[in-house]
Amino acid sequence: MSDNYTQIGKSVTRIDALEKVTGRAKYTADMKFPNMLVGKLLLSPHAHARIINIDTSEAEKLPGVKAVITHRDVPDKKYGLSPARWDENIFCIDKVRYVGDKVAAVAAIDEETVYKALKLIKVDYEVLPAVFDPFEAMKEGAPQIFDIYPGNINTEIHQHFGDVDQAFKEAYYVRTDRLDGQRTYQCPLEPHATIAYWEGSRVTVYSSIQSVHYLQYYLAQVFGLKMGDVRVVKTYIGGGFGGKMDPSGLDFASVALAKKTGRPVKMFFDREDMFYNNRGRHAQFMNFTTGVTKEGKILGVHADFVMDGGAYTGLGVASAYYAGALLTILYDFENYKFDMYRVVTNLPGCGAQRGHGQPQPRFAFESHLDNIAEHLGIDPLEMRILNARKPGTMTVQGFKVDSYGLKEAMEKARDISGWRDKKGKLPPGQGIGMGNGGFVSGAGYAIYRTDLPHSVATIKVTDDGTSAILYTGAIEIGQGSDTVLCQMAAEAMGYRYEDMKIVAGDTDLAAHDLGAYASRQTLMSGAAVKQAGEEVKKLILETAAGMMDVSAGELDCRDGIVFVKSNPQITKTFAEAARTYFVKHGQLIGRGSYRPPKLGGVHKGSAVGTSPAYSAATQVAEVEIDRETGEVQVKEAWDVHDCGFVINPALLHAQVHGAFYMGMGESIWEEVLFDQNGKLINGNLAEYRLPTALDMPPVASELVDTVDPNAPWGVKEVGEGATTPTMGCISNAIYDAIGVRVKSLPITYEKIWRALKEKK
Amino acid sequence: MLAIVDDNGVKRYLVTLNINGDSYTRVVKANTLLVNFLREELNLTGTKKGCELGDCGSCTVLMDGKPVNSCIVLVMEAEGHEITTIEGVAQNDKLDRVQESFVEHAAIQCGYCTPGMVLSAKALLTKNPHPTEHEIREAIAGNLCRCTGYVNIVKAILAAAGEQ
Amino acid sequence: MNLPDFDYCMPDSLQDACSLLAEKGPGAMVLAGGTDLLNKMKHGLLAPAALISLKKLDQLASIDYVPGKGVVIGARATHNTIVNSALLQKMYPSVCEAAHHMANNQVRNVGTIGGNIANAVPSADLPPILIALGALITLVSTKGERVIPLEDFFAGPGKTHLSQGEILTAIVIPDNSFTGSTYIKFGLRRSGALAVVGVAVALEMDGQTCKNARIALGAVAPVPMRAQQAEAVITGKTVNDDLLEEAGVCAATECKPISDIRGSEEYRRDMVRVFTKRALRKAINEGHV
Repeated sequence: MSDNYTQIGKSVTRIDALEKVTGRAKYTADMKFPNMLVGKLLLSPHAHARIINIDTSEAEKLPGVKAVITHRDVPDKKYGLSPARWDENIFCIDKVRYVGDKVAAVAAIDEETVYKALKLIKVDYEVLPAVFDPFEAMKEGAPQIFDIYPGNINTEIHQHFGDVDQAFKEAYYVRTDRLDGQRTYQCPLEPHATIAYWEGSRVTVYSSIQSVHYLQYYLAQVFGLKMGDVRVVKTYIGGGFGGKMDPSGLDFASVALAKKTGRPVKMFFDREDMFYNNRGRHAQFMNFTTGVTKEGKILGVHADFVMDGGAYTGLGVASAYYAGALLTILYDFENYKFDMYRVVTNLPGCGAQRGHGQPQPRFAFESHLDNIAEHLGIDPLEMRILNARKPGTMTVQGFKVDSYGLKEAMEKARDISGWRDKKGKLPPGQGIGMGNGGFVSGAGYAIYRTDLPHSVATIKVTDDGTSAILYTGAIEIGQGSDTVLCQMAAEAMGYRYEDMKIVAGDTDLAAHDLGAYASRQTLMSGAAVKQAGEEVKKLILETAAGMMDVSAGELDCRDGIVFVKSNPQITKTFAEAARTYFVKHGQLIGRGSYRPPKLGGVHKGSAVGTSPAYSAATQVAEVEIDRETGEVQVKEAWDVHDCGFVINPALLHAQVHGAFYMGMGESIWEEVLFDQNGKLINGNLAEYRLPTALDMPPVASELVDTVDPNAPWGVKEVGEGATTPTMGCISNAIYDAIGVRVKSLPITYEKIWRALKEKK
Repeated sequence: MLAIVDDNGVKRYLVTLNINGDSYTRVVKANTLLVNFLREELNLTGTKKGCELGDCGSCTVLMDGKPVNSCIVLVMEAEGHEITTIEGVAQNDKLDRVQESFVEHAAIQCGYCTPGMVLSAKALLTKNPHPTEHEIREAIAGNLCRCTGYVNIVKAILAAAGEQ
Repeated sequence: MNLPDFDYCMPDSLQDACSLLAEKGPGAMVLAGGTDLLNKMKHGLLAPAALISLKKLDQLASIDYVPGKGVVIGARATHNTIVNSALLQKMYPSVCEAAHHMANNQVRNVGTIGGNIANAVPSADLPPILIALGALITLVSTKGERVIPLEDFFAGPGKTHLSQGEILTAIVIPDNSFTGSTYIKFGLRRSGALAVVGVAVALEMDGQTCKNARIALGAVAPVPMRAQQAEAVITGKTVNDDLLEEAGVCAATECKPISDIRGSEEYRRDMVRVFTKRALRKAINEGHV
């Protein structure tokens, strides 16, 4: 299949590799503009307090300070990435709702002056009682954080498909497990930064952001500007993982400061600021009840969850729906009940983190399934094979799943990991476990209600045809979208990847795209790119036909050579044809556009979970536990993925490595911790423990072949789905090693030690 | 050590730093950190700031061939040493073997850790031309990466070593 | 992050450094590698008016064996200099190992042994092994020089008995008859982790009898501490696994750990038991490792 392609299905070198490996690539904070000022936000020291007064006079007097702004200087319009929940202001007006909340901003001639000025801003607070636990927050008498969320309930979901009570009655075995996840943070290596400058009534914003479109939209909304007067550009981005989807306070403040000072303003976060800005993973507290037959076939599932949303919503509403939406994709069962409370607390707001709401439910469900398998005396992998969804089926929520290779992935993972020789046969302290996962390849609906296409692409072939430029709003955050989209453009045109250039993520210069989230770009941006490329190819063939005195239907084009299909010796170069086109008709441009078909059911929240295509993955891991100390070593891991057709195998496997690494970190080491006043304890990279090179095991990444009919060349996602199996996989491996289930993430050495102690 | 005091009583020092083989003479305050001097004063932005506390290695530069975190080195302390930044690794427009290997082995994703990783790798291979995999992981353990899981980075360094 | 302003001095000699320190008074601090000091200043925990850099004092960076005295490690020796020291690798590889556990490679190329000791973090990796080996430190000021056991130097978390105007110049491991020593660090990841528990031992064995044992614990008390009751359990006895377990249990009882984000008090105590046992076994079986 991939033999037919010359540009895709190939591990070509990244298009940005040279810039990155030489250090030439400029990330937002690397950029400088003439007369530029530097700025930072002033953050709240209190978790919950009324703002009585803000006195900026001393700060403003400091030599070198050019502006100090508060809520008085900016529009008071509320915003939030989820239109259903606009609950945030540029700066807090009447109260602060978490330690780290945005109170003011300073612009000055250098960083040192900014830090000094921040210390001079005097804020009088009336401290209020705060609440940091979602269960406490839901209780009668808890501090009310918002008037608009009575009882601190931000989102409440009750879905019921089929009849779980009946399913439980018919089941041979019904089991309930409660498992908890923790608050983690994406921790991209590049801190957020934004630069804004005005030219007359127009503002340009450079930002380390995962969607230039949504930022443009919200900047325009909040500042009351025409979208055409807002230009958002991204340069190089050092990782996002979902944490750079929500506009940060830097984006709005820099626009306001740039207006006030009449100069470009660069604002940035340091590492601790990033933890306070957060928009990372919600901690979820999950009850699962499942009824199965004697053979282990799932009859019904009740997922009953509470999640800690932190102080603001951002993308968090979607997270709440995603937590339950995708549980029915992997295993086919007819009866499903999902209850969720997303609760407000006086902690940094949570949002979408790689896997968006799903990884922790997967951790819980996969652990729960292993418990069930053990009770039934069945091999857990075989039990899952029994339940795996078949391709061409529909879930109870009305999600149509066309291609689906979970069963094949499990079978392959079972073979390459040596599962049958190891499961139940390893010495005490060593264990092997598995987990399944997968994700949407782009969401069926945009974050806000819109009739816009989700992706638009434009390809311009240069005048002499020696290069072609792809214009796309798709955002490269490290995952490789610039590269694979250029490969796709070249393939569709019959051109060569080596001759491609790309302009991406600039709302003026490039084409509209919703951006890098929900693992959508390969499929959705790719579909638009394919269409644009096909239009170029059509025009090339028509032009060449005129030059070669044949009909266009007799020609094809590959690798930049147009040839007569029945006699390939007769050729013209793509460049020659392009030049001829330019001379005759002007610029050779191809355009493409993608909008997902209408997907999903009719129930409330049915938009979330819809997708043109779903990925599937199985991970297996071997662990070794020091049974005296609880220290965990992940010794080896295997991932087998159904991600449809693979545009760039090297980049795909690299994404799998990284996704496993993040999931592993969240399984064993990572947790964001606060003290009793809501202040961060470990907002740094020493105590928020990312695994180092010495902690990472060998990871084998393999594929099963599927081709999805709803995707260009049958592609599907990998970036987020590859994190979703990991926590369940490691949880099950640890259980296999020590025979005790640790029911909360992260599964730290001390928790294992304690579980072993209690077992004795 | 030459110091000057201005009308506001602010003391500054004349320093000459050797960066990538070139000498740069500037006047700085004592509290100037090497990472900020490189990025702001010399516009060498290949050295990154990830944590400013010496935990992540994004700011790694070589000082007399040894990797150090430039976010916790004062410019005053760096004077008299040979500093190598990522900009000094390629020779004119020819990539160093380590850089080529990173590119060939898809060891780069977002690229933010890459400059620091390349320098740590280069320092290792200069001192130990045929390291074991464990020695490579040791050498880069102070360079955090959030994208790659280190898998292809280790492969790239092993490959570069294999060719020496 | 931001450093406050300070005056910077770079004396040519140790004598000049001491004079400057005395002259500038309590607002002045000594700068060696700066890996702890600068971070503390960035966090606003310290704001010295002046930093006196030891940069030019190369004589403080060497590692030598002085006959009649022992191994002399200059306070300005970096952790990696210690790791790579041929002399230490030959005589006390346990000290090299301990230095190797600190932070990460980049920090080890700059952070010094003197700074590590003076910073007095209870979980520091070098103090326990040095204490176990009976190390002495030299403190110099304009008033003269004094030598004290390292184990008497620490006063509390971040606090030492360094007097105003004193500079720590050298660490001496006196000649001894230890047959084995080791340091085991238990951290929560394999690099860049503070010790949850650190156990160092130095033993003199005569066959299977322990003639002399010194056990030093890190991260489980306000200061690095000797587990003297545990030492008494094995001193003069013929060692076997049960005895080592007993020593471990004893060390676990005498240490004074707190609960923090890295570990609970209960966990730390049990880890002291486990690692005391393991460290003793290692030093008995493998010598200086």
